Amino acid sequence: MKNDARQEDPVYRHSRREGILILALWGLCLVYTCTYCYLFGYLSHEPHPNPVGPTLGEWVGPLTAFDRDPSTLTTPLGLGIPDWIFYGVILPWLLCICATFWFCLAYFVEDDLGEDALATGGANAGGES
Amino acid sequence: MTGVSLPLVLAVTGTSPATMLVFVIYILGVFLLAALSHRVLNRSSFLGEYFLGSRTLGTWTLAFTFAATSASGGSFGGFPSLVYSHGWVLALWIGSYMVFPLTAMGLLGKRLNQVARKTGAITIPDVFRDRFESTAAGLLASCAIILFTTCFLVAQFKLGALIIEDTFNISFRFSYEVSLVVFAAIVVFYTAYGGFRAVVWTDVMQGVVMGVGVVLLIPIVLTRSGGLENATHSVHQQLPTAVTAVRGPGEQKGTFNDLAFQSLREPHPTAVLYVHPGSANAALAVGERSVTGGTPDTVEVSLATGARGEVVSTANDVKRAVEAHPIWGAALEVLIPYRNDQVVTERGTKVHKGATGVIWFPEGRREYHFAFLRGEEFVFGPGRKNDGRPFHPLGMIISFFFFFAIVAVGQPSAMLRLMAFKDSRTLKRSILTVTVVYAFIYMPLVFVVMTARPELPLLTPEDSDRAIVLVATRLVADMGIGFQILGAIFIAAPFAAVMSTVDSFLLMISSGVVRDIYQRTIHPQVSDQTVKRASYTTTVVVGLIVAILASRPPDFLQTIIVFVGGGFASTFLAAMLLGLFWKKTTHQGALAAMAGGLLINLGLCLPTLFEGARMDFIGLEPSLWGVSGSLVLGVVVSWLTGPPPSHLVERYFYGS
Repeated sequence: MKNDARQEDPVYRHSRREGILILALWGLCLVYTCTYCYLFGYLSHEPHPNPVGPTLGEWVGPLTAFDRDPSTLTTPLGLGIPDWIFYGVILPWLLCICATFWFCLAYFVEDDLGEDALATGGANAGGES
Repeated sequence: MTGVSLPLVLAVTGTSPATMLVFVIYILGVFLLAALSHRVLNRSSFLGEYFLGSRTLGTWTLAFTFAATSASGGSFGGFPSLVYSHGWVLALWIGSYMVFPLTAMGLLGKRLNQVARKTGAITIPDVFRDRFESTAAGLLASCAIILFTTCFLVAQFKLGALIIEDTFNISFRFSYEVSLVVFAAIVVFYTAYGGFRAVVWTDVMQGVVMGVGVVLLIPIVLTRSGGLENATHSVHQQLPTAVTAVRGPGEQKGTFNDLAFQSLREPHPTAVLYVHPGSANAALAVGERSVTGGTPDTVEVSLATGARGEVVSTANDVKRAVEAHPIWGAALEVLIPYRNDQVVTERGTKVHKGATGVIWFPEGRREYHFAFLRGEEFVFGPGRKNDGRPFHPLGMIISFFFFFAIVAVGQPSAMLRLMAFKDSRTLKRSILTVTVVYAFIYMPLVFVVMTARPELPLLTPEDSDRAIVLVATRLVADMGIGFQILGAIFIAAPFAAVMSTVDSFLLMISSGVVRDIYQRTIHPQVSDQTVKRASYTTTVVVGLIVAILASRPPDFLQTIIVFVGGGFASTFLAAMLLGLFWKKTTHQGALAAMAGGLLINLGLCLPTLFEGARMDFIGLEPSLWGVSGSLVLGVVVSWLTGPPPSHLVERYFYGS
């Protein structure tokens, strides 16, 4: 298997490595943003009105303890953005921009993608199946 | 995220010379780009240039065509409309755009481009056919693209025709049909004539205009509306307003709620404030019974209307009118206690539907059911739909985080662009560009609409699609011709957005028929000249067929648009991921992934097309199940039918 790994196409290897990181970042954002905003930004934690199959409440118990009291609204830094949006969406969005720059400038490999069979007239560029 | 209608805008703005000018310049610009593209086309290999721009897209073209195609008309129509209707929860709704450039471009981009280069692939079915050496995989991909794309184009053609009809204020017996013909003629001509490069350059033009427009709009709106901080607290404490509505059955008269917008005195409709102080059912109550100059039980306030008779006053306007009245203002206090929360039980689940009511429009032509929303419902989740149900419950939070960031990866129009860039440095720079562009568009759009919201009139769903246009036109109307042109650009923008979507999809169908079915399956030795003629002819014929279908379009356009997006991802995403990244994928596995995903999504969405309820298992959107099911099927069937031919594994996973 080690031999295989060494001989693998570098574009495939790099793309796979980069893809895993991208999916991990997406998963991290999903878990953080969805959890934070749902718990701290919702007036009510009503069950889905038209459920097909089990609901979250059946698995983890009632979430109504997290119902938000409207009078507790704050807008961090005086920006006018509700606290739960600021910490749940804006902040991670800014961090994601930083992560994207890091990804592109430090992690992404500028691979040679090879000759284009379309330009050289090879492979199926002319329509051969 | 599409669905565009203009009546209220025109009621407010009319078709101004600036709007006409912008439209004419835009159309001329599109034709010019098509002509330039055609010149490039004449100097290049026809098929590769016509359907893929010869795989030479640079940073700016890739970034803007990707951003514009992904953004579509909904970004400046449907999305601001939802922000207007549901408030800050839309920042969460769109939240996955924080990783969208990385997922949509970075996940497949480099690898898909490399595989396409190895085989000379021009279309997505080409990639499947060559990667698995399977004609069946190529044909299934082509058929899925043709099926979904045709459905999608019918919806988009209708939108394009409606925009022309409304923008130029055309209203006669066949005005829709005439607008449809004009729209079809424009878009089919420049797409057929210019090919992929014309489509891409048009996208760039549109993307630049929209990006600049939003960036200019932000400081204007923030300055003129008193800032976001002020707006958020104002919205938080505002009176309930009717913000969402749907057309309803016509059996009830306007006493459904204590506040009814009703046409009592033509031509002006009147808000009837029924005086029930302390009533448990009062949505808008007047605090004292003794009224001089009114009847003992009611107070009537004239409402403002637009040019077409639609109500443009809000509950806040009614309150202000009462307070400003020399007699009522001193004697009465308008309260909106919001105490008539309707609670119903559906399938054993208790659902709070909020305070609901009916708006009657003049002449009894239309009525809208709506939900009153308390101020705090615009600031917190989950929002409330027009039928009173939660707008963005937990299942939808997860689904939309998946839908925007991951489903977008599986769209053939997006994949096609990832096959068209010239090198990996271009991809890297484009990811960064799209990251910056989206950061300046989506969240600022939420800021802009939330800031300007208190200045906007009552908007029905049809009209609220034009919320961003209203913001632009209302707040810049007195700022000189330059800013009026900015407003006009926002009126023209949805048209440009629809066109940029339609042209891409037209070419996809055309390539599916000419390249995938005719050239690669039926007649591989066909001459270049024949391919050229067939490509032009197919693009025109497809445009005509779609135009004919759109002359009698179905009503459930938004359903079709969502269905197509989910359908594409369910069919292509898992199969493409497996094909590019998993050596053990067999052609049977790819076929199972495509067919299975398609059928799962179709099965879950089908009830909606027959006016039933979409099947959201555990509250999750069907595309999530479609993509997941497709992935599982692809893996299991590949395991069962493997191993794949060694020469394919060698070619695509080893060596360079």
